[in-house]
Order: sequence, then structure tokens, then C-alpha cells
Amino acid sequence: MLNNARIKLLELSWPVGISLMLLAAWEGVVRGLGVRSIILPSPSQIIETLIERRELLLANLWPSLALTVLGFALSVVGGVLVAVLITYSSLLRRSLYPIIVVSQVVPKISIAPLFIVWFGTGMMPSLLLAFLITFFPMTINSALGFRSIDEEIHLMARTFMGSPWQIFWKIRMPNALPHIFSGMKISITLAIIGVIVSEFVASQAGIGYLIKLAGGLLDTPLMMAAITVLSIAGLVLYGLIALVEQRSIYWQSSSDIGAIAGG
Amino acid sequence: MSRKLTECSAPVLRIKNVQKFYSDLEAIRNVSLEVAANEFVSILGPSGCGKSTLLMMIAGVVDKTAGEISINNVPVTGPRRDIGAVFQQPVLLPWRTVLDNVLFPVELLKLPRAKYKERAMELLRMAKIEDFASNLPRQLSGGMRQRTAICRALVHNPSILLMDEPFSALDAITRDAMGVELLRIWQANRKTVIFVTHSIREAVFLSDRVIVMGRRPAILMEETPIGLPRPRDIAIMESEPFNAYVRQLRKAIEVSHAQ
Repeated sequence: MLNNARIKLLELSWPVGISLMLLAAWEGVVRGLGVRSIILPSPSQIIETLIERRELLLANLWPSLALTVLGFALSVVGGVLVAVLITYSSLLRRSLYPIIVVSQVVPKISIAPLFIVWFGTGMMPSLLLAFLITFFPMTINSALGFRSIDEEIHLMARTFMGSPWQIFWKIRMPNALPHIFSGMKISITLAIIGVIVSEFVASQAGIGYLIKLAGGLLDTPLMMAAITVLSIAGLVLYGLIALVEQRSIYWQSSSDIGAIAGG
Repeated sequence: MSRKLTECSAPVLRIKNVQKFYSDLEAIRNVSLEVAANEFVSILGPSGCGKSTLLMMIAGVVDKTAGEISINNVPVTGPRRDIGAVFQQPVLLPWRTVLDNVLFPVELLKLPRAKYKERAMELLRMAKIEDFASNLPRQLSGGMRQRTAICRALVHNPSILLMDEPFSALDAITRDAMGVELLRIWQANRKTVIFVTHSIREAVFLSDRVIVMGRRPAILMEETPIGLPRPRDIAIMESEPFNAYVRQLRKAIEVSHAQ
């Protein structure tokens, strides 16, 4: 255990070290050349802004975060449900699947202004965009998972008189979990993009709103601080999902999970 | 210890004039077979000759085109609870421990788990993998996985055990050892076994009776009772009677392929 932890720390030391070096170089260049903070604030200025204006940042983080998580949750539930329908009904598969795939041609971000026209500048457009942008990867990955069941396992369960209901809960569902989780990991980052873009277009709160506002005021340190907060939030959300994944898919070694995440 | 066919009671499994078409392709033609209680019968034939199809029809998961199959005088119309099956691959569920894999049929059949847990452990003990009961399949060797699959097929105490080339994915050394293990488990857990294989030596070593199956469309060609004494151990494979059976069956296969 201890040995494993040590190996993990050693593995982390390289990317962390390189990042710190880059930050130090950034700091050095900004100070050495006297770059104005309106063009490029130094890392220390960004950290300063993060601390000084934490209340403003947090107040705008919560709505973005809540909409991201809500839109994501809706698309996980919806995507898995539609995937189940597609798996079990060939009629739905033949009619819905092509529509879902073709609808991918529409860049969903371009719909954001339309949502604002329809639903105003409140939270609804952000929520809808987050849902819409994540629905496709969730559905496709889940459907792939439900369908990837080994024919021989299916045959085995049938010889032991397994009912379709039992086969779904005892075989298809656990078998699909790795795919569902990889869909979730793709979706969570996309959900953030959806919310932020919608907030760019029109909103009265949120990190996207703050970034746009700060841009208008040429407050570059605040923009950078907001982007930093957003990145940290994304990292935390992704990490939470990866953690639940590791716990849930205990039968795969961690290297397998890495391969899925990578692919 | 030799057991003659005449001692056997009414047949447990009766197959009569069974035929199978896959659309226009005739896979099995006019197969008839009777198997007595506790008899170990091997069906020997080349890969892809329809042996597995016959087995899956007995299991009730593949429909027959014509003919009759009955088990204990009840026609087979679908999967039944008195059948256990072992496949080419172990097909274990990777998220379940060895014990939970063995108990899988118990769960599907809605039998009391607590009652069968003891039996599952007993089977694992017999298969010499009880120490791995709480391990996951990926932590096991190929032979151990297939032994788990055999325990799973026996856990609900079926009257017929169907085995579809269960050792063909294993290496030669493990394969011989598994044959010995299977006979040991079978001696303690007498069942009617239908064992499909393409290995002549395996068929002779395990069976009371070997049936050679011809090429597509498959017909049952020739029946050879194996009069070797039981219990058998690996040394019997060196004996002259054993090799005589092997030669006889090889000739039968050559004849069936010449046709």
C-alpha cells in the first residue's frame, strides 16, 4: 500500500515539477520584461486576485456549478434511459439512433442564442445547453455498453433460465458500467462548456458572465482568476467521477480504467 | 468397476430424428440418441460440425427444425432447471467473486442462496479452488476459471451436465489434468454427461460411450462403448486397450469424412 502510494507520488512529481517550472518562467518573464497586467498578469497577481475577490468569484461559481451538475445529471439519467430503449427496441433503435447521430451535425453551441430568445436570460438556457451537449456522448456510450455483452455470457445465462429482467440487472448493467463512466467523464467537461457559452451569450450571473464582464472592463487579472476557478471546478468534478468509477468498477485493474479514460 | 450399458435404467435423455436448418443450410440431419442416467457420453467430431448446435438444442436455447428431444420423458421446449452447462470459454462474470459466480444459477433460478452456499463451497473444495472463493476471476489461471465454470454448472444439482468443448481453450498439460479432475468430480457427483469434444484421447479417457459425428450436415455415425475400468487415472492413457480405442475411433472418423 505504502509502496504503491510512493510510486504514485513519484509518477506525479514530473508533471507537477514541469508545471511549477512553467509558472516560474511565466512569473519571471512578466516581471523581467515589465509586462502590464492588463495584457498578461503574473501567476502571483492572479493568486492575489483569487484571494482578494474570492467572494465575487464564489458567488458567480455556484450558479455555474449548479447548472453544470444539474444538466449533467439530467443527461446521465436521460442518456442511460434512451440507451436502454435503443438496446431493447429495434424499432426505436432504427428510428431514434439515426436522428441522434445526424443531430450531432448541428454544433450545439450555435443554438445558445436561440435558447435565450425562447427562455430569456435566466438559468434555463444554460441548463438546456449543458444537457443537450452531453446527451449524445452519454447515450452513445451507454448504448455501446449495453450492447457489448458477450454472446456466450448471454447464452450461459439463458441455459440457467435467466429472465430478460435478470439478464439486464445482473449482466447488462454491470457490463455497461465502464462505458457509462467513460461517457460521464466526457460529459462533465462538455457540460461546463455548455453552461459557460450560454452565460457568455446572455446571463446575469455565473463564471461565464463574470469572464465576459471582466473582459469588458479590461480587468485581465479577474478574467484569469475566473478561468482558474473554473478549471479547478472542472478538475474536481472530473476527479469525483473518476473516484466513483474506481470504486464501482473494482473488477478492472486501474490500468484498464486509465485505458478507457484515454480512449 | 466396469459399467455395462445394459445395467442402465430408462434413458434420461432421448433424442429422436432431430434436424436443424439454418435458413437453407442443413446443419444436423436425422440425429437420434438415447443416454442413460449417470452415463458419460462424448460426441466426437471436427470443429463446426454441429456438435454445439445439438448441445444447445438439448439445453433448449436453440430451436430444432424437426424431431423430438425429451429429458426424463418431458419434451424440451425451452431452458430447464435440471440442466447444467459448461462452455468453451469459462464465461464467468468478471465483477463477481468465484463463489458468487458459482452461485449465479442459484440466483437466476431463485433458489435459497444460504442453502446452496454450502454446496457451492463443497464443489469448490472438490475442484481444489476453495481458497480462491472470494477472489475475482481475473486473479485465476485459465484452468481454475474453467473449474469454477464446472462448479457453477453443478451447483443447482442438475440431472444432465452439458459440456461444449470445455477444455479446448486450455493448454495440453492443463487439459489432461482437467480431464482427471472432471472424472474425480463426476465420480463424487454422478450425473448424466454429454461431452462434446474434438479430441479422441479426451473422449476415450472420459466416456462410457463415444459417438462420432460426421461433417455437415451432421449425422451420428458410429457408437463405441468404452470398456475401460473406472475410476480411471492418467496412467490409463498409456495402456494398450486405451490406444486400441483411440485407433478404432480415428478409423471411424476417417470413414465418416470419406463419405
